Amino acid sequence: MGTIYVTQEEAYIGKVDESLNIKADKKTVLDVPLIKVDGLVIMGRANISPAAISELMSRKIPITYLNFNGKFIASLEPDMGKNIFVRNAQWKAAGESAQAIHVTQGFVRGKLKNYRQSLLLAQRRYDLDLNSNITQLSNAIASLDQAKSINSLRGYEGAGSAAYFGCFNQLIRVDNFSFSTRNRRPATDSVNSLLNLGYSLLRHDIQGALNIIGFDPYLGYLHTERYGRPSLALDLMEEFRPLIVDAVVLAAINRRMLAPKDFITEPVSGAVSLTKEGLHLFLRLYQEKKLSKFKHPVMQKQYTYQESFEIQGRFLAKYLLGEINQYPPLVMR
Amino acid sequence: MFVVISYDISEDKRRTKIHKILKSYGQWMQYSVFECDLTKTQYAKLRSRLSKIIKPNEDNIRFYFLCACCQGKVERIGGDMPRDTTVFFA
Repeated sequence: MGTIYVTQEEAYIGKVDESLNIKADKKTVLDVPLIKVDGLVIMGRANISPAAISELMSRKIPITYLNFNGKFIASLEPDMGKNIFVRNAQWKAAGESAQAIHVTQGFVRGKLKNYRQSLLLAQRRYDLDLNSNITQLSNAIASLDQAKSINSLRGYEGAGSAAYFGCFNQLIRVDNFSFSTRNRRPATDSVNSLLNLGYSLLRHDIQGALNIIGFDPYLGYLHTERYGRPSLALDLMEEFRPLIVDAVVLAAINRRMLAPKDFITEPVSGAVSLTKEGLHLFLRLYQEKKLSKFKHPVMQKQYTYQESFEIQGRFLAKYLLGEINQYPPLVMR
Repeated sequence: MFVVISYDISEDKRRTKIHKILKSYGQWMQYSVFECDLTKTQYAKLRSRLSKIIKPNEDNIRFYFLCACCQGKVERIGGDMPRDTTVFFA
């Protein structure tokens, strides 16, 4: 099962029997059976035939539109899940309820513990001194349990992330890349542009999983409501950020798979984006990471990260419905 | 399961139809030979679709199943490589 990324200008996506047929300049460039497809991402300009759209929707395959830089534009998804009970529980827990505080604690704890884990690993592997940042992270994690409001949790999350990104530059082990602070819209250096692209791909995957379960992705707990912001997807993303995106970005840079020549800078805004070859490489790495297997600490079985998005979402649903009394974030050791 | 499907169809129109159906399930390797990696349900569906189209006294289609251990031993000289199904680019 794989995702199709269409980056060709003026491509035409059609349907032949039960396969997707992608044409450019009247020549077929790709012909994939639909049974092998679980997502379609259109980057830039491409046409898609009505028959292909309806076939994809009936197979519950989401279509995502991104612009050339990987910025999210829109997604087309099959009907929302019919499980009204999940949505009802999700709305009941909105605001400062005990359940909202518990799950927010879970998201933040998962994220910070994974941050700490990746710093500990880097410290051992590269022989660095990251003790002060790790202590800051541990302090933030320890204070989470006492937090009584979501706002104070947001504060600890901010402190923890600052400690992590404060030494992120030291995790980059090659000379021609560097990281100073996070920036976005637009990213003005190559590391941030990779992180942003990765988070945007991850958000698409997690939002898809939440939709399947029957959640309303726009009502979150850690992230407040804002017009058009899929807050719940951003919430659930937190624990996966270091595990998937940061790991892929660091691997791509440190293993010298991406070099500065793979990036283009836009002269006016200073926005940095990947070239087509660089983009293909990054998408492939991201996809491989998503399909890699690990032993889920709660389920005690092998799963791919892709499957774990849905598993974590199901845990969240079970917690909100009162079937389990704790939400276990995905923490890797 | 991994299936090698070969067919011998006398009539052009029917052959084109069968070719199109098989392309929705697997990869075309040689004239009238396909390799498909299918689940049981997908295989059953494919089989029933094909059996509706062919004329049993003129045409024939063969399904050869490879076990997981034989699948790794397939040797190929020349021609297309098997498709990587983790990610597709166009």
